[in-house]
This record gives sequence, C-alpha cells and structure tokens, in this order.
Amino acid sequence: MSYQEKRVITSIVTGVLVLAAYCIYAFGRFNTGAVAQDNLKFWAGTILIFIGIGVVASIVIQIVFHILLSISIAVKKKMQDEKCEDKEIEKKIQAEMVEDEMDRLIELKSMRLAFVLAGIGFIAALVFLVLNYSPIVMLNILFFSFCVGSLFEGFTQLYFYRRGLKNG
Amino acid sequence: MAKKYEISNNIRKLRFFANEMTQQELAEKAQVSRQTVIAIEAGKYSPSLELAFRIADVFGVEIGEVFDCEVKGE
Repeated sequence: MSYQEKRVITSIVTGVLVLAAYCIYAFGRFNTGAVAQDNLKFWAGTILIFIGIGVVASIVIQIVFHILLSISIAVKKKMQDEKCEDKEIEKKIQAEMVEDEMDRLIELKSMRLAFVLAGIGFIAALVFLVLNYSPIVMLNILFFSFCVGSLFEGFTQLYFYRRGLKNG
Repeated sequence: MAKKYEISNNIRKLRFFANEMTQQELAEKAQVSRQTVIAIEAGKYSPSLELAFRIADVFGVEIGEVFDCEVKGE
C-alpha cells in the first residue's frame, strides 16, 4: 500500500471516529432527556465543538502518522543496509512522501464529489425545514452531509488510486 | 462517432534497456511518486504533457518513443 493510500485511510478513520463520537455524545444526551427537544443552542454548540475537535484531531493524527511512517521507513532502510547514512534515509523518506500531479488531480476530483454531497445535504436540510421539521433536524442533516461528503472524498481517492485516472 | 485515443507506453521496455532501472529510480528522476510511475506504466493514468516530456528526458529519447497513441473509431 502506498503512502498516499495510507494517508487517505488515516483521514477516513479520523473522520469516522469524530462522527461516531458526535453521535454517541449528542444523541446520547438527547436520548437521556438531558437536553430539551427544542434546544437549538445545545445542538449548534455541540456541532461547533465537534468541528473544532475534528480539525484538531485530523492535524494531530496526520502529524503522528507522518512521524510513525518516517520511523518505519528509517527502520526498514537500516535493516536493509546497516551502513546507510542519515542523508540516504532522509532522501528515501522524501521520495516516499512526494506529492505530484496525479495526487492533485485525484484530490480535485474527489473534492468535487464531496462538494456535490454537501450541496445535496444542504438542499435536503432546506426541504426538511419547509416540511415543518425542527431546525435541529436541519442542523444535523447539514452536519452529516459535510461529514459524509468528507468520508466519500476519502473513499473516492482510494478508488482512484486503485483504479487510476485513465482519461486524466 | 467520435474518435477515441488510446495511449500506450513503452516505459517497461525503456526501463529494461536503461540498465533495468527501477520504478523508484524513474520516479525520483521524473520528480513524481512511485505510485504515479506504476499507474502510468500500467496505462491507468495519462500523464500531463510536461510529465511525459520529463519521462522521455530521463530515458534520453523523443516523447514518441515513450508514448504511443492508437486512434479508434471514426
């Protein structure tokens, strides 16, 4: 598995964990009756907090992932050739983590899908509001559509890395 | 019917004649990832014109010797 695929899988796992944590926390509190049914402030606040958690978690996990990957590459290189110098290891790590035009193209294509999904979620949220559902439903649909869009972005990237981009 | 352009390449053959150059070596010389070289070689990715020229430059040949195009349909 390539560096790019590992990086994408790490970000998907982060996204899934944050979404699961949000569901457990927010719906857990809602089901126990700790939050009033029309308490819009609670939902808005919770979503804001989890957006922040998601951003921080993805940065931290990516940093940890890059550190671990660098260590594993260095250990592998040392095991293959005990006499290799630090510069060689550094060069190997840089060569492994290089980002090129194919990565950028895959990122653009998958981001487009994420935007489409987020857009569909926004429209669905508006439709639910028109159908007299609570604004809480609208907020959750919006949040979920962004999360699902972000996850699909990751899955699309994995798909393109496996299948390729034949027509550019 | 619109014409369809199928792009193929001779990278594997050129690597063989370049003293069995590895995909990693080619990737480093063309300033791309090994993943991209694998995809191009397998015909799963059509590179940009710039990258195509860079790959040809690595082997020291004309771009037409690396990439070939077959036109299908009329």
